Amino acid sequence: MAQATKTIDARGSFCPGPLMELIKATRAAEVGDVLEVLSNDAGSAKDIPEWAKKMGHTVLYVEEAEGYWKIAIKKER
Amino acid sequence: MTKNAQKLSIVLASEELEKVHAASLIASVAAMSGMEVHLFVTMNGLVPFLKSTQAEGRFRTGVVGEALRAKAQPFTELIANGKELGTLKVYACALAMDVMNWSKADLIDVFDDVIGVSAFFNIAAGGAIVTM
Repeated sequence: MAQATKTIDARGSFCPGPLMELIKATRAAEVGDVLEVLSNDAGSAKDIPEWAKKMGHTVLYVEEAEGYWKIAIKKER
Repeated sequence: MTKNAQKLSIVLASEELEKVHAASLIASVAAMSGMEVHLFVTMNGLVPFLKSTQAEGRFRTGVVGEALRAKAQPFTELIANGKELGTLKVYACALAMDVMNWSKADLIDVFDDVIGVSAFFNIAAGGAIVTM
């Protein structure tokens, strides 16, 4: 599994909070960085990969942990 | 809406908090996803955007709206985030403002302009328009 450059803990935040946090982090990141979001919002687990695909970033994993999801993307551009 | 639509315009004509929240959420996520987004707020849709409504915290809601108020980000924050992280313009309807004798100063500070329908059509031309 790719090592995350940065992990964003957005647990407790509802849609689109985790996505917004990820977008802010993606803007500040370098191309090639791996950004991981922790979210306990089921909607975000579906929505974040959709956003990443639309924006041309690679979704590395969407994993369910205990009561939350871990989603990682690689910034491609 | 077509898959490749890069411009989205939303007409919000309701003061129901659920619709206001949905319009704000769709607008902000679309803007953050690289789309050019225009939110045209008309008729009673303007009521939740009045400084007086915001100060009193009196919104028309159903059960989902109550839960949103307790748990979710306020719609004003969604709009602010969309503006900060993407292209999101917000307009107030000139007719509703005139008949109610409201000015831009009566509204919270998210509006880019007060415009009529012709101006809105020029802005929205070539993109998708959804009404809420």
